Amino acid sequence: MKKHGLFRIAIVLIAVLALASCGPKAESKSAASEIKIGWLGALSGDQAVWGTAERNGTLLMIEKINKAGGILGRQLKLVDYDDKGDQLEAVNVAKRLITEDKVAAIIGTNSSGRNIAIAPIAEKAKVPVIATYATNPRVTQPAEGELMQYTFRVCFTDPYQGSVMADFSKSELKATKAAVLYEISSDYSVGVAQYFRQRWKELGGELVADEAFKTGDVEFRAQLTKIKEAKPDVIIMPFLYKEVALATKQARGLGIQAVFIGGDGWPSSELLKMAADAVEGSFFVDHTDVNMPQVQDWRTEYKARFGKDFEVNAIMAHDAVLVLQAAIEKAGSADPEKIAAAMTLIDPVAGYTGNIKIDPKTHNPTGKAAAIMGIKDGKFGLHTVMQPMQ
Amino acid sequence: MNMVLQQIINGISIGAVYALISVGYSLVYSILKFSNFAHGGVMMLGSYFGLLGLQYLGLPFPLAMALAIVGSGLLAVLNERVAYRPIRNRNSPLLYLLISSLGVSIFFENFTIVTIGPNFRTYPPVLPTDSLMFGGLSVGRLDIIIFVMAAVTLSLLTWLVYGTKIGNAIRATSYNMRVSRLMGINPDMIVALVFFLAGASAGLGGVLFGIKYTVWPQMGILTLKAFIAAVVGGLGSLPGAVVGALLLGTAETFAAAFVSSAFRDLFSFALMILIILVRPAGLFGKITEEKA
Repeated sequence: MKKHGLFRIAIVLIAVLALASCGPKAESKSAASEIKIGWLGALSGDQAVWGTAERNGTLLMIEKINKAGGILGRQLKLVDYDDKGDQLEAVNVAKRLITEDKVAAIIGTNSSGRNIAIAPIAEKAKVPVIATYATNPRVTQPAEGELMQYTFRVCFTDPYQGSVMADFSKSELKATKAAVLYEISSDYSVGVAQYFRQRWKELGGELVADEAFKTGDVEFRAQLTKIKEAKPDVIIMPFLYKEVALATKQARGLGIQAVFIGGDGWPSSELLKMAADAVEGSFFVDHTDVNMPQVQDWRTEYKARFGKDFEVNAIMAHDAVLVLQAAIEKAGSADPEKIAAAMTLIDPVAGYTGNIKIDPKTHNPTGKAAAIMGIKDGKFGLHTVMQPMQ
Repeated sequence: MNMVLQQIINGISIGAVYALISVGYSLVYSILKFSNFAHGGVMMLGSYFGLLGLQYLGLPFPLAMALAIVGSGLLAVLNERVAYRPIRNRNSPLLYLLISSLGVSIFFENFTIVTIGPNFRTYPPVLPTDSLMFGGLSVGRLDIIIFVMAAVTLSLLTWLVYGTKIGNAIRATSYNMRVSRLMGINPDMIVALVFFLAGASAGLGGVLFGIKYTVWPQMGILTLKAFIAAVVGGLGSLPGAVVGALLLGTAETFAAAFVSSAFRDLFSFALMILIILVRPAGLFGKITEEKA
């Protein structure tokens, strides 16, 4: 009896296994009509506000594409996971998206640290990742001359802000003489200053002073006095708000009249409190702003679908999905490797943040517009949207 | 020419703040023969005391200033009582005092981060911060006030140390602690007094610094420059500390203006090394013993 019993169990097991091995095949056949798009980002933790807006933006965009007939005649399906704003968790869920869900491409994350963490996994699995708000240059280029073949992004990098500052100074402020004051011990500041100098030279501007300080410094008058002598029209200040507050106060104290221009390290209510009148009439470059005129329709749609106002991440998510759509269409296939190969071949995509193309050398977007924020009557506000100059 | 004059003004205004801090290093060194690195922490907390008085107790500015001065003076006395006196009583090497002071400095910084918070704070506008223009030259009204306050404080300190009976006692103790005890001086009292004076001047410096710049837990690190000034002037010498501070302030401003702003600190620290090599006792220092 016992032997018989075992025999029976074995037969049942074999039958189950046979059925099971049939199962996934049948399922994959039915799923072949669907293209799975992975998303990962923070849905909990202190970054949840940004992550949620981004996931919702991605979802809304995918729903719109599906309603319009999908891509290559196939419907899209979003698979989203919470990485809790944690690098280790991001690695785990990225692996799950790739090996279990077998997604065609991944959108996210909403920070550089987590994108740097998951880039090697995408590289190994040959699945493209499109970062939305990872602005650190090392996300796509971990070192000079190196390129992550499967990581792309739709936001511009931190140092690129310098290039926008040059465009804005030239075209809008009609400046001819510029001075740079930068933080020599900060990667960010050195990078922005470098991009500014390069672009400013291309535009034929004159760089009349180029001064540095060290992280933690509070006294800038030696540098500012030199800058004052050079009589610049604009002073580029790519550093964080505390130093901005001190430097602008000291500059006005020395009688400097030039316009101050900064980057995304500026927005902070502390700046307005600390610098008060000194920053009045200044401008700074930011990636995008929820008040930009071109995103208002998207904002209304978002509100109608999710019942609350969105954050800038939803704008980036919109453009990331558009770029991915273009790449899948270009590739004519939902095969991850083919999509990755097509990423840099797409025609410029008209997103909310510019006519986006992906540079094959850097995997960074080109043709990006930027939000120019102004400080007026002691408040931050959108001044204009700066299109890249030819 | 205008630029040279402007840079001299800038340098002196920085030097005046350095001077208020560097005398504290020098005073303590003159008595206990060690560099009290907790001094920066006392200055930082002095700055917070002033802010506390102004913003949370609603005191008028002179009273808040007094609170900061007395508060940080007492804090320095407490610091000596708890962290240095037991070491002194055991006649341990001077190096132990230095290490203990480093510990206290880290304690102060982290205590502030945990209890008050790591963010920057700003003083309400209690003193005018605008500038007076003389031709093309700009002189901050705050800088003039700071300079005058520093000058008055430093003169008072000098008078106290060189022109009074208690000053005699301080100098006697500084010269030889054991013999001064034989002369009827209580060295522990003198040490406490010296720490109070050092702490009080750091408190004043902290408040002025906070008004001029901003207040944050790591601001004590900036007193490293004041320490260099004290070394350049000759540790233990009051006039040396003041001259060293003004010299360092102008030297680093000139380095930033005429050499390269990127090289400014490289220059000021190189200056310190050079002076130590050429004149180990500093510009005004007489003591050539071990400097811990």
